Amino acid sequence: MATRKESGSAPTTVMASTGGTLDSPVKQIQIEGLVVLKIIKHYQEEGQGSEVVQGVLLGLVVEDRLEITNCFPFPQHTEDDADFDEVQYQMEMMRSLRHVNIDHLHVGWYQSTYYGSFVSRALLDSQFSYQHAIEESVVLIYDPIKTAQGSLSLKAYRLTPKLMEICKEKDFTPEGLKKASIGFENMFEEVPIIIKNSHLINALMWELEDKSTVADKHELLNLSSSNHLEKSLQLLMDRVDDMCQDIVKYNTYSRNLSKQQQQKHQYLQRRQQENTQRQSRGEPPLPEEDITKMFKPPQPPPRMDTLLIAGQINNYCQNVKEFTSQNLGKLFMAEALQGNN
Amino acid sequence: MSRFFATGSDSESEESSSADEIAPKAPGTTFKQSLLLSDDEEDTKRVVRSAKDKRFEELTNLIKTIRNAMKIRDMAKCLEEFEQLCRAFLKSKNIVDKEGVPPFYIRLLADLEDYLNQLWEDKEGKKKMNKNNAKALSTLRQKIRKYNRDYETEIAAYKENPQESADEEEEKEPGDSGSSSDSEGEEGEDGVSAKAFLKKKPDASADASKFLKTAKGSGDESSSSDDEDDDGDWGSDSVGSGSESSDDGDGQGASMAMVFLKKNQEPEKSDKKVLKKKKTKKKERLEEEAEEEGGEEVEGGWEKVKGGAPMVKEKPKMFAKGTEINVPVVVKKLNEILQARGKKGTDRAAQIELLHALANIANENNLGQGIMVKIKFNIIASLYDYNPNLAAFMKPDMWKKCLDCIDELLNILFENNNIFIGENIAEDSESLSNTDQPYRVRGCILTLVERMDEEFTKIMQNTDPHSQEYVDNLKDEGRVCGIIDRLLDYMETKGSTEEICRIYLRRIMHTYYKFDYKAHRRSLGLQGESKSEQDQEESEGEDSAVIMDRFCKFIYAKDRTDRIRTCAILCHIYHHALHSRWYQARDLMLMSHLQDNIQHADPPVQILYNRTMVQLGICAFRQGMIKDAHNALLDIQSSGRAKELLGQGLLMRNMQERNAEQEKIEKRRQVPFHMHINLELLECVYLVSAMLLEIPYMAAHEFDARRRMISKQFHHQLRVGERQPLLGPPESMREHVVAASKAMKMGDWRTCHSFIINEKMNSKVWDLFPETQRVREMLVRKIQEESLRTYLFTYSSVYDSISMQTLSEMFELEIPMVHSIISKMIINEELMASLDQPTQTVVMHRTEPTSLQNMALQLAEKLGSLVENNERVFDLKQGVYGGYFNRDQKGGYQQNKGGYQRGKSDQKGGYQQNKGGYQGGYQGGYQGGYQRGGYRNQNQNNY
Repeated sequence: MATRKESGSAPTTVMASTGGTLDSPVKQIQIEGLVVLKIIKHYQEEGQGSEVVQGVLLGLVVEDRLEITNCFPFPQHTEDDADFDEVQYQMEMMRSLRHVNIDHLHVGWYQSTYYGSFVSRALLDSQFSYQHAIEESVVLIYDPIKTAQGSLSLKAYRLTPKLMEICKEKDFTPEGLKKASIGFENMFEEVPIIIKNSHLINALMWELEDKSTVADKHELLNLSSSNHLEKSLQLLMDRVDDMCQDIVKYNTYSRNLSKQQQQKHQYLQRRQQENTQRQSRGEPPLPEEDITKMFKPPQPPPRMDTLLIAGQINNYCQNVKEFTSQNLGKLFMAEALQGNN
Repeated sequence: MSRFFATGSDSESEESSSADEIAPKAPGTTFKQSLLLSDDEEDTKRVVRSAKDKRFEELTNLIKTIRNAMKIRDMAKCLEEFEQLCRAFLKSKNIVDKEGVPPFYIRLLADLEDYLNQLWEDKEGKKKMNKNNAKALSTLRQKIRKYNRDYETEIAAYKENPQESADEEEEKEPGDSGSSSDSEGEEGEDGVSAKAFLKKKPDASADASKFLKTAKGSGDESSSSDDEDDDGDWGSDSVGSGSESSDDGDGQGASMAMVFLKKNQEPEKSDKKVLKKKKTKKKERLEEEAEEEGGEEVEGGWEKVKGGAPMVKEKPKMFAKGTEINVPVVVKKLNEILQARGKKGTDRAAQIELLHALANIANENNLGQGIMVKIKFNIIASLYDYNPNLAAFMKPDMWKKCLDCIDELLNILFENNNIFIGENIAEDSESLSNTDQPYRVRGCILTLVERMDEEFTKIMQNTDPHSQEYVDNLKDEGRVCGIIDRLLDYMETKGSTEEICRIYLRRIMHTYYKFDYKAHRRSLGLQGESKSEQDQEESEGEDSAVIMDRFCKFIYAKDRTDRIRTCAILCHIYHHALHSRWYQARDLMLMSHLQDNIQHADPPVQILYNRTMVQLGICAFRQGMIKDAHNALLDIQSSGRAKELLGQGLLMRNMQERNAEQEKIEKRRQVPFHMHINLELLECVYLVSAMLLEIPYMAAHEFDARRRMISKQFHHQLRVGERQPLLGPPESMREHVVAASKAMKMGDWRTCHSFIINEKMNSKVWDLFPETQRVREMLVRKIQEESLRTYLFTYSSVYDSISMQTLSEMFELEIPMVHSIISKMIINEELMASLDQPTQTVVMHRTEPTSLQNMALQLAEKLGSLVENNERVFDLKQGVYGGYFNRDQKGGYQQNKGGYQRGKSDQKGGYQQNKGGYQGGYQGGYQGGYQRGGYRNQNQNNY
């Protein structure tokens, strides 16, 4: 779990440290303040409610550190321009940026999230294709709601090599996942982030802080909790429902499987008996038949979605836990204050 | 025909018949065009074949099939053949290049395009087409358009100058007649034979009219019938000639035929015996198979048709001057006339005329009532026969005649007590002449009246319900009822129980749907009326309720066929419901167990059942039993096909699914307009009752995860209302109800009331009830009560306590009423509160969980089921002994659930218990898990 500390307001540095070593080419991510501001601005302008915004990250790899120096948003999709070519747009954009001497290497993408709901099939697929093509690429998840409450929430994720392996083979059967010994805990790995601010950014930050109202500054101290919790619970419940369905599916599958196994067994036994009888009578044994043809195993349900849901549930739980612990702290603080007064 | 009438006299019949000859040809000409064209092709074919290639033959063959397909409007076939034709044409490309495009090919293209366009324009016809055909039509049309672009010039040339070919046709016509297609052959022969008949017909018509003039004075009728007579005659001959070509010779020599026929008289009479048997069968079946039999007789048509044709001519001769007219003679003649019945060539109108004439003769000669009754029976039967197919309805004058006849017949029957009628009396044992012993006449008056009733229904079905005509027709209902009543009296003295049951049912069918205003007024006991007036009313007749009761009970006791009893029960219930006798109606419905087995009944009975259920529901609504009303109407309304289920019209969307035949059958099942149940009223009643049930329910179960809907349709309406981007003031009835529901959701009964009861809704719905004012009062009351409930559900969490005084003022209900509603809610554990008697307040217990708590509870429930499911997976994997959790765990969860429920229902400590449940559950589970810790870890890892 990432721990975050905010050191004053000047060079905002968000440090995330994960236990254990990462066996990936990227051990650390350094983000320019410009990128953070651009992402925030993008969401502010285009995302509302549960809509997500996405964009491309640009930068380069220095030793085991990925430096993200710039980014640009994907345009919002509308039904009108169905023939809009995204790839074309990206290439065009990168070429233009190259002309003004900005890093033009594609190193990943970013996405906003709504109450921490980002662990989805879509994210998995696109991150897989990114990581497949560009090994060092990451996905930055920006949580605007948490950020609005006063603490910037930006996390970088990569798929673990195990998951990459599975996705490459497209083997999502229960057996396959079991063999790969992958659980929801080790699907994604979080990469620690360092935010590096240039002096210009620092100056801008100062200016912005001067301009912001008192209420904005003290959002951090807001005591109300039920709204946020309700939303989280709602989402959590939906996921639990999905999980339930998946489990029921899996249950039926395994029941069918075992039933069939039993039948197969019975059949074999009967066969054997008959053969021994025949032998005793001196007749030739019955010819071997293809058992797999007679008992076709039922189609195993894909388990990847279940894994993702589990991951998502875990995510929600962490969120709720974090939120409640913070809020409890705040409540105690408020109580103490009241007592003093 | 009026044309002939205008020209008038008998001497001109020569002319009229020649005009006649043209008349039938006229409609055929358009048709002929295409037919003759095909001839023409044949001709070209001949030329080409001798000179050129077999390719052209192939083409012509294909073209012929296309033409045939066009004739029978088989578009699919047309399309198929056309594609083949195109292929064949491509094959013969080099020949075409040499010879130029063959003219017949161009002709087909042009004709086909015209034909298709014409079909395309004919919207009506297109609708009637089945799916395949319609599809084929559109594709073919596109194809031919594209294709014809290549041959534009040729086609244009052909279109400019089609005469050429037409001229050719004229010449060819006589020679070709027998060759290509049957219908054509017939027409060709028509031309020939028609000329031959010219000689014959004038005699006939002249004779007939002469005869009629002497017999009775009604000149205009006779002449008009004459004309029709001619027609019929003509038609029969043409059929005769069409069926057998050797017949032609006979037909041509008209005079020869006369001679021949006269000779034939004897054998024909011997035939009669055989025919008679057929007749009796027919009578019983009410001529429904008239068409069929006509078909049967086609094979033997030659003889029989002959029998029909000469009849007309002989009739004047049969009562030649000086003949003594007595019963046997008349009966013989009657039978002769009846011989022609049901045959293809018989002119039905003329036959009716003849029968009338016969009746008059019989009357003039005082032959006794027996023969009159017999003739009348036959007249009525022939009137019914007039329409050859079952779907068509009687013309007004026929209908009038029919009613008159039946009236007269009844008069005779009433006046003469000594006439026995029955369908079982054999024709031989009939006694018509002896005055000393009672008359015995074959025939069934009951069947005739039933048929009359059906005809009446048919007439009503086929009249536009919004026209004056409908009203005029409806006035006949009184007469129909009168006839049924009289017959009922007659039957009560003479008929068997089955017959009485049948006539009772007829009577019931005419009574059950009518609201008895008289009885209604009487029951209200209007004092304003003077005594004498009341007396007069009473003497007018008994209440329909009493009548219904008497008849229905008779049927329940005596009827042996299930159908009549079922119908009677349903009508009885309907009648009860219509007159707001809810309990009787409901009890009868429940006792009859009709709901269990109505699906085995035939469609008309099912329609009646649906009508009854709807009426029952509406009755319950009027009585304020909202729940019953909702339940009764649910089945009909939820299907969304109320119109169809009640037999009040066909749904458009089914048009594709059923073919014309089914549609016809369904149309025949429709209930006449004056018996309709107002669909808007029905829907409104349903929606309002759904609203009164659903809105408080929704408010009470706002956070319930497993909330089910009471009424899907109502929810659908609500959703439709929500989807509106811009919500204006409500217009339709549905919008009113939706708007009212929204108001009720907020507990705002005044707005709700104003939406449900206002000018618009009054005129649309509420004024349709007989006791409008009472219903409206009931409705207001219900709205107030349910709004109060909704209000308490929705806002109880806001209050600590609320005074009943305030509530009673808010909802304009009396305090005891408020008290009772709240008490009921508390008892049903819907509201966590207690009543404080001294202060007259409701004290809320803050046990209603907040929304967050509610959600947490839901989540816990869901997690419970998740764990249970998970457990099952592990059960499977590990066998029964090694579960993920121990058995206690399950118990623990169930305890837990108990805890929730108690938490909801108990006032305090519910939560603690809840927690206890949780802890217990977890501990148990944990221990269980702990004991098998090793397993569990393994499992987890595996997983």
